[in-house]
Amino acid sequence: MKKNWLMLSVIFAVMLVLTACNSAEKNTAQTDDGNKDKPAQTDDNNVDTNSIPMEITNEGDVIKGGTLQVALVTDSPFQGIFNWELYEDAYDSEIMKYASNVLYELDGDFLVKDTGIAKLEVDAENNKAKITIQGDVKWSDGTPLTTDDLIYPYEIIGHPDYEGVRYDDDFKNIVGAEEYHDGKADTISGIKKLDEKSIEITFKKVSPAIYSLGDGLWGYAEPKHQLESIPMKELISSDAVRKNPVTLGAFKIDKIVNGESIQLVANEHYFKGKPKIDKVVIEVVPSTSIGEALKTGKYDIATSFPTNQYDGLKNLSNVAILGRPELAYSYVGFKLGKYDKANRINIFDEKSKMNDINLRQAMAYAMDIESVTEKFYQGLRVRANSLIPPVFASYYDETLKGYNYDAEKAKQLLDKAGYKDADGDGIREDKNGEKFTIRLASMAGSDTDEAIVEYYRQNWKDVGLDVQLTTGRLIEFNSFYDKVQADDPEIDMYMAAWGTGTNPSPAGLYSEGAEFNFSRFVSPELSEMLKDIDSDKAMKPEYRAEAFSKWQNYMAEQAMVFPTFFRTEIIPVNKRVKNYNVDYANETELQNIELTADAPLK
Amino acid sequence: MWKTILRRVLMMIPQMFVLSLFIFILAKQMPGDPFTGLITPETDPSRIEELRIQAGFYDPWYVQYYHWITNALQGDFGQSYTYKIAVSTLIGERGLNTFWLSLLSAILVYLIAIPLGMLAGRYQESFLDKSIILYSFISYAIPTFVLSLIFLFIFGYRLMWFPTSGTVDVGLEPGTTAYYWNKIYHLLLPAITYAILGTTSIIQYLRSEIIDSKTQDYVKTARSKGIPMRKVYTRHIFRNSLLPIAAFLGFTITGLLGGAIFIETIFGFPGMGNLFVSSVMSRDYSVITALVMLFGFLTLLGSLLSDIIMSIVDPRIRID
Repeated sequence: MKKNWLMLSVIFAVMLVLTACNSAEKNTAQTDDGNKDKPAQTDDNNVDTNSIPMEITNEGDVIKGGTLQVALVTDSPFQGIFNWELYEDAYDSEIMKYASNVLYELDGDFLVKDTGIAKLEVDAENNKAKITIQGDVKWSDGTPLTTDDLIYPYEIIGHPDYEGVRYDDDFKNIVGAEEYHDGKADTISGIKKLDEKSIEITFKKVSPAIYSLGDGLWGYAEPKHQLESIPMKELISSDAVRKNPVTLGAFKIDKIVNGESIQLVANEHYFKGKPKIDKVVIEVVPSTSIGEALKTGKYDIATSFPTNQYDGLKNLSNVAILGRPELAYSYVGFKLGKYDKANRINIFDEKSKMNDINLRQAMAYAMDIESVTEKFYQGLRVRANSLIPPVFASYYDETLKGYNYDAEKAKQLLDKAGYKDADGDGIREDKNGEKFTIRLASMAGSDTDEAIVEYYRQNWKDVGLDVQLTTGRLIEFNSFYDKVQADDPEIDMYMAAWGTGTNPSPAGLYSEGAEFNFSRFVSPELSEMLKDIDSDKAMKPEYRAEAFSKWQNYMAEQAMVFPTFFRTEIIPVNKRVKNYNVDYANETELQNIELTADAPLK
Repeated sequence: MWKTILRRVLMMIPQMFVLSLFIFILAKQMPGDPFTGLITPETDPSRIEELRIQAGFYDPWYVQYYHWITNALQGDFGQSYTYKIAVSTLIGERGLNTFWLSLLSAILVYLIAIPLGMLAGRYQESFLDKSIILYSFISYAIPTFVLSLIFLFIFGYRLMWFPTSGTVDVGLEPGTTAYYWNKIYHLLLPAITYAILGTTSIIQYLRSEIIDSKTQDYVKTARSKGIPMRKVYTRHIFRNSLLPIAAFLGFTITGLLGGAIFIETIFGFPGMGNLFVSSVMSRDYSVITALVMLFGFLTLLGSLLSDIIMSIVDPRIRID
């Protein structure tokens, strides 16, 4: 028995290393730098990310109907919670996209357009929004979509028994939501049915974020006729969520094999018309074999494809490689204070070790990120210049210079700031001539992370800075965020990444009250700028763009956090798919997908 | 004997209790919790705090332990934080997958290993013996994931003899014959891979037992009575040589639920091994604790079963 346990623990230790990457990234947007796209080590073969197309049109005559084969690349089974209010796993949402209960269509900046199932009209002066169902829309079971179905999702999230993450500050912005949640009211008083086609929601305050589905506005409908008889506590395990959800999208769920595959069929009631293909089959494919599966023509489209396998795809004649920017950035942050949990406020400490703009800027200039993107990421990552990913075209400030690699400039800045090498050992001392060591927390992810961090440490040493790793090695994902969030005194700076989602407002990450403002930097100017971005005046797009630009410049100058990478997402598509476009601004709509052969090309 | 078995079963209670205490405390000691992974810029930290409070993570450990153990004693291991369904349902689903896979591969292991071990022992030092030894060394040395990937590549993708992932095709109607055939079809390749990797110890034990037996007195007696060599092997030697294999049978039976993480991951097969590792990674406490308790119980049960089986097949052994 002793032997068994020993074996178990050895196997287990090995497994931890092997699965760390995938499991950690799977259920989180708080990304670990270098998880999904383990960089492949190649010296040449770099791609210019602009050369990866977003769209493909293939030759050949279109067949009637057909089945689209979709690979969901993951090493764990999907969770199978098919409900927008309750799901947590990104893979479930990938699947739900095909069935979708989405009410609004979004433009390239992820702002609500008028073309969806529902139309949004905001009355900012009175903090009200009117939502109207456009035309005759039917659920996949043929029942008409009613205003009750628009209201029901709010009653799910606000329900006293709701156990998800979406009952948050944003949601409490709806008048009456808290009373409903506390059980003091039977309905949410701020949500009213106006007529057969429209509802009105009253908010405590409306900001420009409402057009990015913020402020508490919810973007989905739920079939009340199917769900209302199920008690809230049982909803998440009910068949209506797990097996046979009634939906509004182009396809409806037909059969499910728990955790591994799902078959959808065309929804004849779809409001944009019945899709041209008959079926979609989505299957979980392990990351180890997705390259081979694409090569042998098992799948038409692979979602969440691991970027480190890009090389293996390049020479396939049957697969087109499409790419688009990821909604994420990697960054380096400096610890400049503490979070006061009791008062929910960040307290900036002027005396903190890293509170010197020149020092922080110098560290940014000293990092040779350009070489890392080339040697380790094949150019699928690029050096970032801003904390807003370029995909938010209207808000991203492309004029920002960023901190391009310049060791000389770094040295000058350090000299200017008074970090001088007093004892001649090649390492600078601090302003008082004391020994100066910076402790960096960095996450363990892929096998090349260690090499990359060592390279950066060498970069910093070249300009005379002694950077040591907190705990002496790379830190596992959960411990890393535990330490960073708790303002561990052993951390002076840290390397991490954020997935931004579709709402670019930076208030949740950098404001005075934000617990995720890990650098703990606070200034009156910054607070003002953040307020400005979400102010009434910013309801005007030009004003908001201007406010975003000001904020980006301020962040770049202060460098309490500075961005390191932007990433590119790779989407392989089999050449039997007639037209396919992955550009967020102009994505191919599901009902329009057509195929040119009976099976994916080999 | 029944007394002894009863005593052993009663002994399991304090053993399981100590195990439960250890695993409960150790699980909670891990950095992070099930909600750490939910953090995005759009989630509200105070909501996460609320959920932690609701889940009782801030109660003292003995309070949490008390809640958990009292429910567990009534068969309620709680809800999975990740999958949001009852832990027993989740383990039931995955356990069943793993059970069929392990059962098929255990059968294949015996089908491959017993003839090979016997042949190797009987024709000791021959070319056949050396080939079998070479095979068993290679299969012992080759890492699971390497062989799995090679097999998947050759038989799944190149020759296309077998399906490449999952337990069953999605289009089939559950309950039909086609559905069950399809399930077995999906089991074959992972089970064969698993079996080939698991034959070494049986081949080696069997071979050396047979070599030992050949010089035993009872063999000489049998031969001198004029029984043909073939019969001596199949009747006399074989039965005696199976003893060390019978000694492991209990563990093999209870091990059917253990799962095989590499094979499950590479063949996209939702089983227990995958569930265990991913529950640890996502800090799904309720699943971790339930699985460790289950594995612990199975280990204890396995050793008891092995002893019982031994006493049945070898009358010289008595458990007292």
